[in-house]
Amino acid sequence: MKRGLVVLLALLLMATPLASAFAQSQTLDKIKEAGVLTIGTRTGSPPFAYINKNNEWVGFTIDLVEQLVIPAISKEVGKPIKLTKKESTPPTRIPLLNSNSVDLVAGTMTDTPERRQSVDFSLTFFLTGAQFLVKKGSPIHGINDIAGKRIASQQGSTNAKIIREKVPTAQLREFPDQPAAFQALLQGQVDAYTNDGIQLYGLKAKAPNPADWEVVGDFFSEEPYGMAMRKGEPKFKQVVDAGLKQGFESGKYFEIYDKWFGPKGELPYPMSPQVKAYLLKQIGK
Amino acid sequence: MSYQFKWSVLWSGQSGHWLLQGLITTLELSALAWLLAVVLGILSGALRTVPFKPLRAAAVFYVEFFRNVPLLVWMFFWYFGVPPLLPRGVQDWLFDHGAEFWAGMLALGVYHGARMSEVIRSGILAIPRTQFEASVAMGLSVWQAYRLVIVPIALRLIVPPITNESLNLLKNSSVALTISVAELTFQTRQIETYTARAVEALTAGTLIYLVLCVSIAWVMSSLERRYAIPGLIARVGGPG
Amino acid sequence: MLDLGVIVHNFKFLIVQGFFGLGSFAGGTLRLAIPAIVLGFALGIVVGLARLANAAWIRVPAVMYVEFFRGVPLVMVIFWFWFIIPQLLGLPLPEYGIALTAFVIFEAAYFGEIVRAGVQSVPRGQVEAARALGLSGAKAMRYVILPQALRNMVPSLVTQMIVLFKDTSLASIIGYVDLTKAAQIVNNREIRPFELYLFIAVVYWICTYSMSRMARRLERRPTTA
Repeated sequence: MKRGLVVLLALLLMATPLASAFAQSQTLDKIKEAGVLTIGTRTGSPPFAYINKNNEWVGFTIDLVEQLVIPAISKEVGKPIKLTKKESTPPTRIPLLNSNSVDLVAGTMTDTPERRQSVDFSLTFFLTGAQFLVKKGSPIHGINDIAGKRIASQQGSTNAKIIREKVPTAQLREFPDQPAAFQALLQGQVDAYTNDGIQLYGLKAKAPNPADWEVVGDFFSEEPYGMAMRKGEPKFKQVVDAGLKQGFESGKYFEIYDKWFGPKGELPYPMSPQVKAYLLKQIGK
Repeated sequence: MSYQFKWSVLWSGQSGHWLLQGLITTLELSALAWLLAVVLGILSGALRTVPFKPLRAAAVFYVEFFRNVPLLVWMFFWYFGVPPLLPRGVQDWLFDHGAEFWAGMLALGVYHGARMSEVIRSGILAIPRTQFEASVAMGLSVWQAYRLVIVPIALRLIVPPITNESLNLLKNSSVALTISVAELTFQTRQIETYTARAVEALTAGTLIYLVLCVSIAWVMSSLERRYAIPGLIARVGGPG
Repeated sequence: MLDLGVIVHNFKFLIVQGFFGLGSFAGGTLRLAIPAIVLGFALGIVVGLARLANAAWIRVPAVMYVEFFRGVPLVMVIFWFWFIIPQLLGLPLPEYGIALTAFVIFEAAYFGEIVRAGVQSVPRGQVEAARALGLSGAKAMRYVILPQALRNMVPSLVTQMIVLFKDTSLASIIGYVDLTKAAQIVNNREIRPFELYLFIAVVYWICTYSMSRMARRLERRPTTA
């Protein structure tokens, strides 16, 4: 009886103060006051955001934030802003954003109409599509071959959702992040790993034996990457977009792209003219 | 944007289903791990009192090493580190039959086995030697003395701390979410991922754990009362 | 077969960053464990004494607090704090603060029970003698009961501290770069789980085993009746 009361009172205590305390916070004001932009980003998604051999946290998206978004924010609030990185993964990134743990999700997040119901996205900064990573010589060549097979994906990713809908007979195994899913593939726990093509290439390049793996399949979905932020913050979105736009116009974006994806980059992946046109079209060019 | 409570997400759509599945998985995981832990605990606890040094040393090593390392490390070790070392046939079977569940069960069971061992050993040691001597004097063999006198008394002495350890095991099963075991805490995160309702999901999970722990504690104390030997008042064991 | 090179190459990151917390990442097992133990115990004393109070308005919340936190997994509590605190305060918080808060509040319930058991184990005669000598309730507690209680509690206290030390590994779940997370980071890149996790198992073992040896030595010290 006493314990039942404990449970009931505990529940009430948890719920009541929380209801009143969730107030609207103005992101730009908070950033200005703290002098810090906190982003949620990945630690195992080369070359977008990952921890390299020197145990440094680097990546293409991180560079975009540091060199394009931060200067735009600093200019807007009138003081220098520092960057703090927190790890976020597909299942945790929207909760972290909505709980104010991070101000911006900048990693490998796909901009989708469904997600736009809970968050806002910046301009698209990369375009890729979903594919599969398999062991060389695997019978799987694309989404048509995966019925009944064990497929690894990240919990909460667009890829997981699409497979669930399009190929319900596939045995979908969801993992909390990319390294866990990749290890499952390495160990033979699954027959294929699905993620966006560019990330699969990045994973393959950094794998212990890159020649053992291949990226297969036509894009079974289009994946435009955007930076996510809380809804209802038009000013903040405007500033972030201004930073990216400035990067496209001045060419800085393409410099950063070249650093990571150019011939001498971590993962050579030339930008096709269609993709370039798509990116520039966003800013009316 | 103030937080809009939407408790209906808990029973609409998939959430209720996920919660139930999570609860079942937690119970399955905990029950199997508990069995393993008790077996390992009794074995190693008993081994530590036998007069044969190598067996004693092995038992001591097991207990002292496995219980002094965090459970989370064991989860990663059993799930990521061990399967590559197994023969290919075993690996294939495992991967087709929920490798993460078995890894979680082993990690949980072996870890708590080491802790149970300490509890059981204290129980055995708390019985005065006179009980043993009296049994032998009455004509019982060593084996009979253990089976008919020592062990029953020891069991009654250690039920309260074992209950405590068992509840710890149940709560620790939540650590298995880190290796993708779809237990209860994992499912509350899953609900939250798909509905963005953190407070509702966390509340549901928390309540279920509270109810589980409280009911188990209640059942155990009833059992304690029922099987108590009048006059046996010495108590053994402590926290942790 | 066994690639110890991965440990050698990343030793600095694992130990200096992961264990001690010195480096570019916010992390460190020790940096979290030591304050958590100290603050957890301090709060535990408050909780334990409150649990024994005569006044119901102090005792009942304390009982609820203890029963609640002993009935839920620490992982769940960590998730609560991870999502709710920043939402309440409206700003991002470092994982360190969140983890530390979660640990202190959770472990205080356990420390509280140890304190309670310790105080209750002091013979009634001591309490009566203190009162007979004219000491008030609070003074009796401070000068007579607590010191003796503390001595009785030492083995259980150290055991709980060891448990807390191991529990700090759970901070890795929210991204805090402690020893466990550091090993995960390296493993995610190098894929050498057996070596890496065995290595940190040994490091943890060295710490906790030393702590329990210390406890056993403290147990053997002579106590006054």
